[in-house]
Amino acid sequence: MEKMVYTAGNEGRDVFWNAVNFQIPLDIFALIAFAILGYGLYKRWQLWTAVGKPETRMDQRNVRIKTLLRNGLLQASVSRDKYPGIMHGLIFFAFLVLIWGAAFDAFQFYSGIHFLGKPYLIFSFVMDVFGLAAIIGVVLAINRRYFEKPDRLGYKGKPDNKLDDAIVLVLILVIMVTGFIIEGLRIAAFDYPEFEKVSFVGYTTALMFQGISLDTLKFSHQAMWWFHALLAMGFIAYLPFSRLVHIVTSPINQYMKNLKPFGYVEPIRDFENAESFGVGKLDEFTVKQIFDSDACTRCGRCQDGCPAYLTGKDLSPKKMVQDIKTHWLERSPLVFAAKQAAGPEGTPEIPEPEKSLINDVVGANPVWDCTNCMHCMEHCPVFIEHVPKIIDMRRYKVLMEADFAPELQLTYRNMENNSNPWGIGSHLRADWAKELGVKTMAEDPNVEYLFYVGCSGSFDDRGKKITVAFAKLLKEAGVSFAILGTEEGCCGDSAMRGGNEYLYQALAQYNIEIMNGYGVKKIITTCPHGYNALKKDYPLLGGNYEVYHHSEIIADLIASGKLKPTKPVDAVITLHDSCFLGRYNKIYDQPRKVLQAVPGLKLVEMEKCRDHSFCCGAGGARMWMEEHGTRINNTRTDMAIAVGAQKVATACPFCMTMISDGIKDRGKEEQMSSLDIAEIVLQSLGTESKQEEPAAEQKTA
Amino acid sequence: MNIIACVKQVPDTEALIKAKPDGSGIVEEGIKWVMNPYDEFGVEEALKMKEKFGGDVTIITVGPPRVMETIRTALAMGAEKGIHIDDPSLYGADAYATATALAAAIKGIPYDIIFCGQRAIDDDSGQVGAVLAELLGIPQVTIVTKLEVADKAVKVVRPIEGAQLVIQSPMPCVVTAQKGLNEPRYASLPGIMKAKKKPVEVKNAAALGITAESKAKVVKTVPPPARPPGKIIEGDDPALKAATVCKLLREEAKVI
Repeated sequence: MEKMVYTAGNEGRDVFWNAVNFQIPLDIFALIAFAILGYGLYKRWQLWTAVGKPETRMDQRNVRIKTLLRNGLLQASVSRDKYPGIMHGLIFFAFLVLIWGAAFDAFQFYSGIHFLGKPYLIFSFVMDVFGLAAIIGVVLAINRRYFEKPDRLGYKGKPDNKLDDAIVLVLILVIMVTGFIIEGLRIAAFDYPEFEKVSFVGYTTALMFQGISLDTLKFSHQAMWWFHALLAMGFIAYLPFSRLVHIVTSPINQYMKNLKPFGYVEPIRDFENAESFGVGKLDEFTVKQIFDSDACTRCGRCQDGCPAYLTGKDLSPKKMVQDIKTHWLERSPLVFAAKQAAGPEGTPEIPEPEKSLINDVVGANPVWDCTNCMHCMEHCPVFIEHVPKIIDMRRYKVLMEADFAPELQLTYRNMENNSNPWGIGSHLRADWAKELGVKTMAEDPNVEYLFYVGCSGSFDDRGKKITVAFAKLLKEAGVSFAILGTEEGCCGDSAMRGGNEYLYQALAQYNIEIMNGYGVKKIITTCPHGYNALKKDYPLLGGNYEVYHHSEIIADLIASGKLKPTKPVDAVITLHDSCFLGRYNKIYDQPRKVLQAVPGLKLVEMEKCRDHSFCCGAGGARMWMEEHGTRINNTRTDMAIAVGAQKVATACPFCMTMISDGIKDRGKEEQMSSLDIAEIVLQSLGTESKQEEPAAEQKTA
Repeated sequence: MNIIACVKQVPDTEALIKAKPDGSGIVEEGIKWVMNPYDEFGVEEALKMKEKFGGDVTIITVGPPRVMETIRTALAMGAEKGIHIDDPSLYGADAYATATALAAAIKGIPYDIIFCGQRAIDDDSGQVGAVLAELLGIPQVTIVTKLEVADKAVKVVRPIEGAQLVIQSPMPCVVTAQKGLNEPRYASLPGIMKAKKKPVEVKNAAALGITAESKAKVVKTVPPPARPPGKIIEGDDPALKAATVCKLLREEAKVI
């Protein structure tokens, strides 16, 4: 056996033991590997920068670094999903630790400083732990991709596995396994020193090599060592040409995360001088928007909760991003070559793309399938921004080509002519308030809150009931408020998200002018679409207000004792989270607090709730469009039926319409109803006995 | 091909219409004005023809300064130029005076086909297209839901009770558009931007060499009588309630 020189208290090993004449070839290989890595990334850089409008995301450095540390280094966003989180975490942290382990070895070798004794024992143990972690992680990944085959690692039931996926997994697995074999062979060659038991995986591996001659052990060790070293070099060289490039691109994308409000869509700023609106060609995206697609690892979390995808529509956010990536990889080299040929001064002759971005690459249906529910963006671990891309493409279809669904054209005309999507005469906007004695801002501008009612609350019969209920709550609680009455206009959310930015800005500017004219400071809305638009989009056009959703206000009024729900409402109830309230604005708790304050209610949660909530299907202008195939609202209603809900609470008039329709469609009108949280609280106040209980009234009559 | 589309600006169908207290017309304040929907079918068909055969689409309208907005809407859809006949003597003109003004403006320019809406949704008179054709001495095909052009002639479909007529007419001619002819396009944003710079000639009666005289005059505008409120019959006994309904229908409403 090989002579053991390391004694108790001085445990250790020779770094690069048994590797004869390795240094020069290893250096050469390493040089080649890193040269290929550098070259590959350089070529990639050229592709990243060749196409797209400029966009820099380098402001707020400290926030960006924190985001990167939290989600890159600490894997916060990746670990939100258990199985893949653990799987990726094992590989990721192993990679991180083992790389420093290798560097530590190299340091010891070149510096001649050897850490012996306890540091060595700890080091060797840690290396073994993380080596094993990587193996477990890769096995989990192989199991998931090739045996469990979840739908999200494919499209419509067909896996989208690539050869590259297999190569990467096998590569990591073999590197890890050979590492342990090398360790085992060495431990066997030194005749199983007791202290090496801390290298528990290597030691266990060594036990398989009992009775093998020293020469064979040393020869095998050397061969295996080279194999291992070359694979590791191969890994480095392969990185820029494989999915491994996400090691570079994903953290960069995390660093460039949108720090503006969640759901932010860059407004069109200059209608007069722009030649083109929206995105109809790849190069009309910004470089960041295109870079997104290179940060995508096809993990499929976006697809996994997409209401359009899950009800059989063509859209898959993952596929869209990948389709853009494929198109970019076709186009970008051509554009780069053309720019090179033209030189810095010349005008590059860029060949026209053979495929139309919207019609051929992404597909017109997917562009219109999206409900803007933001599930994809909420759950993308590398912060890819799907929804703004979709809105940009819709803008092109609407503003440039005027090629979009006829029913949406009608909606826009209605919004143009009567400032509401239904096209009901705008003079009827405040009719709901006639008998309630609600003041208008014109009558009394010195109120604390403007109650911005919105179109659903003003024109839709069901929506008007919500408005009335909420106005009664405000009066009951003595809140000082007024409405704009017929001066109010449509918030424009559906126009904006449906790609009609021009119409949206006209509507928004009208409202802003009116509100600023009254010096409005605080606004309450019952519709989360208006809420989100007024709160996040209007400031970009000069409207800066404190905006509250009625769920926040009601929760506050209950907490401060101004509203006292005392009358029991006996029912099993579930809350359907509105996307524009929940994911967009993280208002999950307030509506639940409101419901929990109502005696008698038993709140049950649907499987998909809070940040995983399943859209009702009405967001992103889908409210006004025909839906083909399985209806999203019916699918959502089924989830409420599944938990045995007698009432479905909503906090959004669009959701109300969709869930009510779902209940009707499923023939559950006898057993179920949908109610806005304001209506439930009003019932519980017990001041509404006449209207709310016609049955009781009949008996006494 | 030189195509002309005549348009009229009308109150939006959902607008609140109030008669002036003196009955001299409607209160225009607060009204949202739009292009007459039937004229929109005409404009759309004109644009489709242009796209197929080439040429220009000219929009002509009669009315006060506010109608310029409607011309711009048609220009945004894709028409090339506009003529705005603005003369106080023509405000509130009848079909004959309006058609006289249109004919005078059209006589001065080349044309192969003229589109009008089959009627305007405000006064529902439905005569301008017909009178215009008479004044120009050209054929007219009215209430058209389908149109084909071949060999300097149009072949159109005109639905009638229980059947449809296929009518052929030489060009130039006047075609009045009915719902079903097409789906008017939504103007693109570049279209809207370009429309602001497209030429619109404004002419008055003198420039056209006409004296507008309406043959028919609106004597009085009165609102329709307000609907009496509905009655809800209350009670516990369905039979008694039904009897009450019968009694009321017989005695009050006098329908049975």
